[in-house]
Amino acid sequence: MDIPYTVSARPDTGLYNAKVGIWLFLASEVMLFGGLFSSYIFLRVGADYPWPVHELNVTLGFINTLVLIGSSVTVLLAWASIKLRKFGAYKVYMAITILCAMTFMVIKSFEYKAKFEHYSVTLTDGTILTGHLPNGFEIEFGDVKELSLTISGKTSAVDADPVGYVLPYLKGTAPKFKTQAGVEIDLNKESFAVLKAEVLAAAKAKATNSKELPSTTIKLVAASPMTFSVPMSKFLARPALDAKSFTFRDGTSVEGKIINDKMTLEVDGLDVRGTPDKEKSLAFNEHYLGTAWKNAFIHQRDEAIAVFKKEFDDGKGGTSRDPKKSATQQKKLFYVHIHSATPEAHTEEGGAHKTEAHAPVEEHGSAHAGHHPEVKLERKDVQFFSNFTPKLNSYYAIYFTLTGLHGLHVIAGALVLAYFLVFDGRRLREDPEHMANRVEVGGLFWHFVDLVWIFLFPLLYLL
Amino acid sequence: MSAATISNDHTNDHGHDHHELSFLKKYIWSTDHKVIGIQYAVSGLLFLLFGFFLMMMMRWSIAYPGQPIPGFGFVTSIPVIGDLFQEMIGRWAPGGVVNGELYNMLGAMHGTIMVFLGIVPLGFAGFVNFVMPLQIGTIDMAFPRLNMWSYWLFFVSGVMMFASFFLGTGSVQTGWTMYSPLASTTGLAVTNVWMHGHTWWLLAMVFNISASLLGSVNVITTIINLRAKGLTWMRMPFFCWAMFIVSFLLLLAFPPLEVAALLQLMDRVFGASFFLPTGLMEGGQHLDIAGGGSPLLYQHLFWFLAHPEVYVLILPAFAILTEVIPANTRRPLWGYKAMVYAALTLGFLSFLVWAHHMYLTGMGTMMSTYFQITTVLISVPSVILLTGLMISLWGGSIRFTPQMLFASAFLPMFGIGGLTGLPLAFTFIDLALHDTYYVIGHFHYVVAPGTIFGLFAGVYHWYPKATGRIMNDFLGKLHFWPSLLGMNMIFAPMFIQGMGGFHRRWYDGGKYFEQTSSASNWFTELNSGFFSLFGMDVPNNLLGLNVLMSVGAFVLALGQVPFILNFFLSIKGGKKVENDNPWAATTLEWAAPTPPPHGNFDFEPIVVRGPYEYSVPGMDQDFFPQWESEPGKRAEPSAAPAPAIVAHH
Amino acid sequence: MADSPEEIYKSIRKIKLIGLVLAVFTVLTVGLSYVELPTHSLNMMVGMLLATIKAALVALIFMHLNHEKALVYKILAFTVAFAVALFVLFYLSNSEGLIDEGFENSTAIIESQE
Repeated sequence: MDIPYTVSARPDTGLYNAKVGIWLFLASEVMLFGGLFSSYIFLRVGADYPWPVHELNVTLGFINTLVLIGSSVTVLLAWASIKLRKFGAYKVYMAITILCAMTFMVIKSFEYKAKFEHYSVTLTDGTILTGHLPNGFEIEFGDVKELSLTISGKTSAVDADPVGYVLPYLKGTAPKFKTQAGVEIDLNKESFAVLKAEVLAAAKAKATNSKELPSTTIKLVAASPMTFSVPMSKFLARPALDAKSFTFRDGTSVEGKIINDKMTLEVDGLDVRGTPDKEKSLAFNEHYLGTAWKNAFIHQRDEAIAVFKKEFDDGKGGTSRDPKKSATQQKKLFYVHIHSATPEAHTEEGGAHKTEAHAPVEEHGSAHAGHHPEVKLERKDVQFFSNFTPKLNSYYAIYFTLTGLHGLHVIAGALVLAYFLVFDGRRLREDPEHMANRVEVGGLFWHFVDLVWIFLFPLLYLL
Repeated sequence: MSAATISNDHTNDHGHDHHELSFLKKYIWSTDHKVIGIQYAVSGLLFLLFGFFLMMMMRWSIAYPGQPIPGFGFVTSIPVIGDLFQEMIGRWAPGGVVNGELYNMLGAMHGTIMVFLGIVPLGFAGFVNFVMPLQIGTIDMAFPRLNMWSYWLFFVSGVMMFASFFLGTGSVQTGWTMYSPLASTTGLAVTNVWMHGHTWWLLAMVFNISASLLGSVNVITTIINLRAKGLTWMRMPFFCWAMFIVSFLLLLAFPPLEVAALLQLMDRVFGASFFLPTGLMEGGQHLDIAGGGSPLLYQHLFWFLAHPEVYVLILPAFAILTEVIPANTRRPLWGYKAMVYAALTLGFLSFLVWAHHMYLTGMGTMMSTYFQITTVLISVPSVILLTGLMISLWGGSIRFTPQMLFASAFLPMFGIGGLTGLPLAFTFIDLALHDTYYVIGHFHYVVAPGTIFGLFAGVYHWYPKATGRIMNDFLGKLHFWPSLLGMNMIFAPMFIQGMGGFHRRWYDGGKYFEQTSSASNWFTELNSGFFSLFGMDVPNNLLGLNVLMSVGAFVLALGQVPFILNFFLSIKGGKKVENDNPWAATTLEWAAPTPPPHGNFDFEPIVVRGPYEYSVPGMDQDFFPQWESEPGKRAEPSAAPAPAIVAHH
Repeated sequence: MADSPEEIYKSIRKIKLIGLVLAVFTVLTVGLSYVELPTHSLNMMVGMLLATIKAALVALIFMHLNHEKALVYKILAFTVAFAVALFVLFYLSNSEGLIDEGFENSTAIIESQE
């Protein structure tokens, strides 16, 4: 009892089942990526910041494109090899295809990793500084004497978990705590569980209905003042500049004062495209990048203007192009790559090649930090910061969504092809026509994945 | 051999291998389309019941805000079940009183469960899996193992939805539409955002959508490639046509919703701002987001699915009715071809009307004019479908079996639902009625006494094929009448309340809104007068209608008891079918042995005529099955014409 | 579908050739993206044109859409129609709606006053 038309085509449609199925599935995939590309247009049209062009690693993207095209060719060759009954060649081509898929994903993961470690900080005047956070970024607050724990009466989403969520950010060892009853305890999983049980029991005794519990707050007084050093993501809302109390996402709140919320940034890029008065950008404050970089910026800008004027000279004293409408020109004017700790002194012979300041070669001894100026940003000057993840802006949001989903498709396709290669040996020998159909259908999916990338690459990397 | 002489005991006279499958293989990891169909149908029925139970609590809260649910204390005191109930519902309902948070959860989950876990699995997946391969005369779906995977993906999504009630945060609270920005930013005060009811909802939807996509690929492929010899497109029962169109709607409309779910997941979990505009504030604070997104984008993506989804909900009911009505009126389906083309048009147009849910977003006059026109246009094919069924009744000798009762009630109920939708197609009326109970009444008339009655009809109709026994007629009628009464008691007053301005999301039923509660009319007077007969003091105003509706919900609940009893008791105790074709119907599923074994048919079905040849003039019997070349004689392979050419190349 | 060995050998040559063409087009796309045309929209158009040609080659040759059965075209025709609706109508209803210049500027002003 076999299902008809798994191998041979149905006469009236001319297709075998799996081929109808894969085309239907691809139709739904078209709608899936159609929805995403449509969202891309929607976001790009509505973007209120210069849309990044050539900001991703074009070389890696280019290599990945070639890898995918190559794998598309080999998967077809694998299919042709079965048709010619050259099973050895089939296995080789299939293996190459799967290796290509793995190469693609490895390269992709390097790209992702670089983005996760790279930060962008928007200052309050719209200036953007990019770079790395050598020490990470944590808000440090001290003089904390008391923990207020909210034990939820089961109607709140938040249930305090001080042991797992708050204590890890305590600097130094945890002091002893005094409960409201006056007992001195070490705060750990066991003692907190006991404490919680006691409070719940007390609340239960008080409540009119045995199933209904009000929320309760426990206060724990520390034997000595504590200092916390907490990443921003552990708070529900960003604490105000002069905050006296801090609430963790788990509902534990503490009172204290901010000791240090300065962000140390190794600057590798300065972007003043969004700054109204570019020469007075906050970044050029003395305690940040300072006048040396300001001069370097002015120098680069003036040079770029001169080059532009020369290149697009319309012979009437003006330019044939509007520099404001050229994204590249805007970037050349207002975006400074920073590769050295101090700007090079600009002499008269500086040409177009000097638009980027280069790192002094001899200073490799001082490792990474020597290549970039370090600035300590005060939080009052910071409007928004994020690493280069979906949080940063709609471009990175759609970049990660599109490439992430595409990556999942690559993995899924590679798994299917690997299944054919590894577990379908018997079918290959006994029913090669059926196997050829399977590879053809798997290949169709694979080409579709390739096809999506063909659009993704220029849209995200190049244009 | 005529259908009447086929005995029930067929399982052993097949030439196929029949090694006994283990219980797990046969009923759990089954790849047999009939078992999967029944799995879908039973899961769907259970979820419908669960969704209904959520609605009962909502209705209580609306009619008696601030009063404990009766029997709440009793339920929580039952040992294990009570504790579970306490964890799931009780902790949000101090003393048994539904609070706003719980009401929001109930509302969101009622919608989600009824649409995505109740009606689609039962109406589409359940019936299409069980009936369609039989009707087109094949042995199974085109991809049986994929079929199993779809079911289990759906199962995972159902379990996740259900389990989300037990999470620390409870389940999702932002309405079944999950509009951003509210849905992107609410309830993020959790240590682990992955353990949030909303996140689980989104993930469950991704599973659910994937299951639907795989399922519809399977259905379409099966219908295209596995039809029996002689079953040309225009000989295909309308049931298959409707399911074919539904599959296309699912296939092409669901991916944008998947996109919406994924993007919202990015917003919530990874801090993206796809749907969050620049400068968004919440609770007086600027959110720590980049902004630059658009809430409208979410609505577009959502409604691009959700409007075709309406037809995904209603077409299976039409599909079932086109089988039930001709079989019980002994007349051909009126206007078969017109109905097929109408359904195709409906499917096509349903993709072009989505923004009529978004008139209030201010998308501009040009776009709203466009969407008003398409919305009014789409009522034309709907009316053709309804008219076809209505005229099919004319002059028939109707057998009022339970399925026929449900089918005949469907027609006016769907009519009310459809006609009340017409005014909503126009922006100027919609501006007033948007988000009121009028809208709730409108779409519930379409899907509750509409679709669900259709599904009940289907259950009664095909139950004998699945089990070999007929469901009890008396219990069936006992199920029908209270259901009809209850449905109308619930949904008819909604129109009146809605026009009075009642908003759909008031968890206290509008108690604290003096202006609306003081309005009275002849209906409210009738209402309070009616209840005073029973010594109940119901206010003579629109609020008083809440009591009527909640009583209606109770009547409806009681009405389902005979159905549940009937459904389970008939498996062993129902009347045995005398032959394989108990309703004397014409389509191929009735040619298969009862219940159909693995592999379905014990002969090669050849189709020689159209699907609805009832009361053919000059014939002794009043039906002429598709597989018989002359009465009582199966068509031989030679009788079949060459397969129809669908693809000219 | 090419089934005889000669035809398959022929198609193998074609596949390799198309693979090469795709690689060349990729180089071209990258190169042209660095050339500054009068407006960036022109760059986009050129880039998308090249991408579309590449995609068409993949679809037509690799996915055999140049000689496929009518049924596949029918399925794809429907899909393309709805996908186009998705693109066009999103765009139209956006450009006319709330998210226009004035709206964005007003929020920008709120932001800058902070």
